[in-house]
Amino acid sequence: SSAGERKEDEELEAPAAGESRGTKGAAGGWAWGVVFHFFLVNVLVMGTLKTFGIFFVAFREEVGGSSEQVSWIGSIMSSLRFLGAPLVAVVCRRLGERPTSILGAGLVAGGCLLSTQATSVPFLCFSMGFLLGMGFACLYQAAAVMTAKRCRARLAFSNALARSGMGLTFLMAPFTQLLIEFYGWQGTLLIFGGIMLNLVPSSMLLWPGSTRQPRRAAENQHLGSLMAKKDPETPGGCLDGSTHRELQSHSAQEAPTVEGLVMPHGRDVSGAANPCALGRLEKSTPDSSSLETPSKAKKSYKPLAATKKEPSQPLLDFSPLKDPVFFIFTWSFLFSHLAYFVPFFHLVARARTLGMSSRDGSYLIAVAGRQRRLLHPFPTEKQRQFGQEIVPAMSWDESPWQRFSPYPFLQTQSPPVHARVAPTCWVDLVGVEKLHSYLGFAAFFAGIAAMGGPPLAGWLYDYTQTYVCSFLFAGACALISPISFFFEPSAQKWKLKKANL
Amino acid sequence: LLLGASGASVKRNITLVKPTKVELSCKLHKNSNLKSPQVTWKKGNETISHTVKTENSWSVQLTILDSSMLGTYSCILKGKEEFSAVFHLHVPKIEAKEKPIITYIGDAAVMICSTHYPSMAWTWYMTNGTKQVAINDSLQADKYVINRKSANETRLRICKLTKEDGGVYWCEAAFELGISKGKLELKVLSISAPLKPFLAIVAEVTIFVTTIFLYELYSKKKEKSA
Repeated sequence: SSAGERKEDEELEAPAAGESRGTKGAAGGWAWGVVFHFFLVNVLVMGTLKTFGIFFVAFREEVGGSSEQVSWIGSIMSSLRFLGAPLVAVVCRRLGERPTSILGAGLVAGGCLLSTQATSVPFLCFSMGFLLGMGFACLYQAAAVMTAKRCRARLAFSNALARSGMGLTFLMAPFTQLLIEFYGWQGTLLIFGGIMLNLVPSSMLLWPGSTRQPRRAAENQHLGSLMAKKDPETPGGCLDGSTHRELQSHSAQEAPTVEGLVMPHGRDVSGAANPCALGRLEKSTPDSSSLETPSKAKKSYKPLAATKKEPSQPLLDFSPLKDPVFFIFTWSFLFSHLAYFVPFFHLVARARTLGMSSRDGSYLIAVAGRQRRLLHPFPTEKQRQFGQEIVPAMSWDESPWQRFSPYPFLQTQSPPVHARVAPTCWVDLVGVEKLHSYLGFAAFFAGIAAMGGPPLAGWLYDYTQTYVCSFLFAGACALISPISFFFEPSAQKWKLKKANL
Repeated sequence: LLLGASGASVKRNITLVKPTKVELSCKLHKNSNLKSPQVTWKKGNETISHTVKTENSWSVQLTILDSSMLGTYSCILKGKEEFSAVFHLHVPKIEAKEKPIITYIGDAAVMICSTHYPSMAWTWYMTNGTKQVAINDSLQADKYVINRKSANETRLRICKLTKEDGGVYWCEAAFELGISKGKLELKVLSISAPLKPFLAIVAEVTIFVTTIFLYELYSKKKEKSA
């Protein structure tokens, strides 16, 4: 059993009493600290990503560089959040969440401070894009996993509470604009670095758990983080991050691969299907099933110990690439991601070309951010798909300010709507067993799309000298993305035929 | 220029680069209530006499040779009500950043002025109190660099900024028909301006970190003794 204990030092470093009531109480009480930290991470990380559009304008004017080049900074920053997660998962296992989180906070603050000295776009690409991106990945991953570990009882609620932090990001846009007006972009970055440093004490709140039961589950979750090598962030999390639920379901998936128990864990995975759902009602059933996971995992503990060293098997499962259904989904996923980030980056710049001040542009971003959070309808699947088509249509016309305001409102309906479609569609299309490997690959492609989207749009601007094209491009991408769903029936037929052969 | 029955006065802006002949005309819309009004053409406040009248329009022909001939021309139609149309003749306007440019001491600043039409010459002025002092880049070559990127654009680069360099700058474009000015504001901040809030935040962070650290030590001690 010592092999099983492995190096979960974090769990053991808590006072020797281990399972004493005192520590359990402390561990329980500070679950809220973890939620608070995750909340703060959401606010700051998402806020910075979204307000990058304001920096975009400032960088273009003062540092120089074409639209495409400056877009690279933002895209590296946001895509590294996805792509860096596997690496962060490894680091988390080595160091533990708390040091990783502090490291992440340090990276982010350091990146901000370093950027104040920037004189050229490549420099900024590294300091602001790379450092901030990796820092965000560290922070987000550690916080998400810790939330899952700690808040066993009220996972849904704490998750929702933490993610509502994204709603507050609307405050950051006008605030950033104000800072830029007072201090210029260098002063703003300096102050941002300080604000990010606040994540260091809040990371220290990520106290490691100490009771045995969570430890076991925690081990499974670290397994899950290793599994997360191939699925950095889930799409279901409002495009914004991994979910602990995912990891839990992965650990549940480990068991099936060992014992061949597929059915009971289907429920867990369907829980993963709505990771971003804010309705507690929806989450209560997956919640209870996730609580079953540790007990089931305990039973399958011994076999798991044997397989722990070779999780590479399910990791390199390339079968999704042979599945046409995968292509269908990834296609739509890819294009909606491409479409998603562009508006945020170019919104302010476009507003400027239309004659609005930067201040108004930042309010637009704020509106976009706020609407996103406040909208939680759960329309039917078909409605969602069509909802997506309306949005890019709106993106075409932006001349007057009056028509511009509804645009971000509608635009923001699309990504979260699509994000909710994504998991349920997945489950329908591919079945629960293969869910995580599909999602893994899809998320990886999504990361690539997130990286390529804004620079592509920026290049379009440089080529055509107008931002209309980049918005049209985003709109076209969003329109293209649901097209693949129309091929779904024929793809299913093809699959059945193949299976029958 | 068509005038309808509306009471609002109509405006037109005309940009002139070179000396040209210009014809301004006011036409009356055929559905208008006004029938055979009395029309006067004015430059500023003076009446122009040599106007031409056709069936439904009144026009004046001008040869613009220098800046004195630029200005505001208006045609006033007097009937039961009075309508007027105003023409502004001016040199090309200069586009410059309206918001102040924020830089720091020791940094370099680049100020850009541009127009849509090629200018003959550009001059930069600095406001010293109430006077405008021309900036001579050959005199202070290490501090000021005036770079003329194209006929339409000029850039003034100021290196090694000091607090006194802050203020209002004027860029002046000389056209054949006159000069046009653009205003730019430069704000020079010292590093301490954003540094103060930054240090305040760092102090707050340190306080939090120490508090949490001490609390951890305390609770560990407590459990060890319990």
